[in-house]
Amino acid sequence: MYNFNVRYYDGRLSIAHDATLTLMPDHWLIHYRDPSGELTSVRWAVPGIVTDENFSSLFIFRFGEFPQQTLECKDDSLPATLRQRYPERIFFKKGITRVFKWSNGAIAGLALVLLTLLGLGYWFGLPWLAGAAASRFPVRTEVSMGNTMYENMIQAYDVDQRLTAATNDFAKSIDFKTPYPISITVVKKDEVNAFALPGGHIVVFDGIIRKMKTKEEFAALLAHEVSHVHYRHSLRNIFRSLGGYLFLSLLLNDINGIVTVLADNSNMLANLTYSRELETEADQKAMAIFQADGLDLKGFVDLFTVLKSEHGDMGSLKLLSTHPLTEERLRAAEEMAEGQNGVKEDDELEIKWHTIEKTLNK
Amino acid sequence: MEQQETRQVTFHGEGAKLFGIYIVNILLTLVTFGLYYPWARAALLKYMYEESEFEGSRFTFHGTGKEMFIGFIKAIGIFLGLYCVLLGGILSQKPTFMMIGLAVFYIGFLLLIPIAIHGALRYRTSRSSWRGIHFGYPGDRKEFLNMFIVGCIITLVTFGIYGAWLVIEIRKYIFKNLRFGNITFSYEGEGGAFFWLNVKGYFLTLITLGIYSFWWVKDLFGYYVNNIRMYQGDTRLTFRSTATAGGYFKLIVVNMLIIVLSLGLATPWAIVRAMQFVFANIHIDGPLDVDAIEQTEGDYSDATGEDLADMIDIGIV
Ligand SMILES: [Zn+2]
Repeated sequence: MYNFNVRYYDGRLSIAHDATLTLMPDHWLIHYRDPSGELTSVRWAVPGIVTDENFSSLFIFRFGEFPQQTLECKDDSLPATLRQRYPERIFFKKGITRVFKWSNGAIAGLALVLLTLLGLGYWFGLPWLAGAAASRFPVRTEVSMGNTMYENMIQAYDVDQRLTAATNDFAKSIDFKTPYPISITVVKKDEVNAFALPGGHIVVFDGIIRKMKTKEEFAALLAHEVSHVHYRHSLRNIFRSLGGYLFLSLLLNDINGIVTVLADNSNMLANLTYSRELETEADQKAMAIFQADGLDLKGFVDLFTVLKSEHGDMGSLKLLSTHPLTEERLRAAEEMAEGQNGVKEDDELEIKWHTIEKTLNK
Repeated sequence: MEQQETRQVTFHGEGAKLFGIYIVNILLTLVTFGLYYPWARAALLKYMYEESEFEGSRFTFHGTGKEMFIGFIKAIGIFLGLYCVLLGGILSQKPTFMMIGLAVFYIGFLLLIPIAIHGALRYRTSRSSWRGIHFGYPGDRKEFLNMFIVGCIITLVTFGIYGAWLVIEIRKYIFKNLRFGNITFSYEGEGGAFFWLNVKGYFLTLITLGIYSFWWVKDLFGYYVNNIRMYQGDTRLTFRSTATAGGYFKLIVVNMLIIVLSLGLATPWAIVRAMQFVFANIHIDGPLDVDAIEQTEGDYSDATGEDLADMIDIGIV
């Protein structure tokens, strides 16, 4: 009962010996006939025996200094017999590789569970981590980082000093409910666009102001950009795309080029979806500012109408648009505007808006 | 006359198992912030070796995650050092320092490639065995480095033309120094023939809008395999490729489809198909005495090259 059929390699020659293994109390005895027909026996002291970790159903043991002798056994009853014969010695450690001796179905099941976990981590864990990291980022560092970014990029633009002054004056009359120092720069560019940098800098292209008819419309744009600043959207975006990049490069380290390209592109898509969520958040916060200040929410309706006529609806490109579909934003704004009460007419703001309009027309 | 003997290595890996190994590796690498990587690599190599069979016996990879971890840390250290020099140069904002930083970075990188190839060969061969007989690579690092650097400079000066000769030189050197017990190898390719093979492949691929590329890869594979010789005592054995352009076409197109349609998830199955294709198309012709290979190599255990090679992303042999 302590005998097993094994294959034995002596470590000096590549010949495979069909041998018999006998489990003795403190050593293993290996018998075989060498090619000349002579009976040979080898003795392995139990403490020196090493189990080879592997993925197959073959049991492999090695013994001695380099070059090691090797023994292979296919008998399924070997592990149980070893446990019984040498209770104090563990031959088969419960390592991670044991998993691979399961059936393919079980492995596939486990893989599926792990993949789902990875997916959840990527879709929900990463944005959450990005948010957490951004909220722990010190404000002073954020502001100085934003200043550096601003100084570097503003050189590429032609700043309109007078409009910038008028716009900042306009913004001072609105309570944006944010601790960040808001500073607006108007640059001469025909594009209908505006963007916010971390820490309080907002850049507005004069092209978008030209399209505007009311002070509320302009205030809505500013409120939206200020909300990006307030919720640290740039930082969150940076952290998310950086995290996604790290995550995927760790994940795909071993896999080939095609997959990396696929993954890079889907990561970009995921980033865009994420920034759309941030846009929606900015819209909501901006509308809350309007509610609190008694400004007319119709400003948003007008703003989105301008954006819609300018950029088109991009219906088929829904997945690829950074901003939520303008149509969706327009509808949300209309709904909010209908339910609004307590609108106050702000004369001071109106005067400042006229100043901007006059500056524009010069 | 006796029938010509021929032998093959067969690959028995399964996509499902490989997939499982990848997933576990990826997951553990992620949760350990990359530190598990050497163990992941060891597991993968172990599996690939274990599923490769010759004359009824499987190959074994003896390397361990622990050994490779030390190499991994060294490799990371070397890379960090190089990047620090580069970054230091850039941050100094002084043109001279920038140039020096850049030069150190690129020269360092260039030196690392042959060092990595050499180290990886040393480590990988010493950790590979079949029927208890180990492979070995007693090549000389200085010699290899010299050949590599001089070759690179000549390649630069000749606008890349010498590259073909350099590749052949490297193969010759590696095979000359490759051991499997008392079995030795050689590579019989020639730079000139290899160069024209590539010129022909390049232009015909251009002219045929890429269609010829399948013949080109077939020719490259054939030129590699057909020029390998193996010696057991006085017996000379030759390697022979049976790969066809059609076979390559099927392999590449189907593998692309598998990978793209599964969004990469089925990559392990594609890898298994590629391994099977490669092994199925290599024959070893000649009377090899598979029972008489003698152990000759000693023990060797510096794993730095293995990971360096892996980080620079060069596959060996
Ligand atoms: Zn926005």
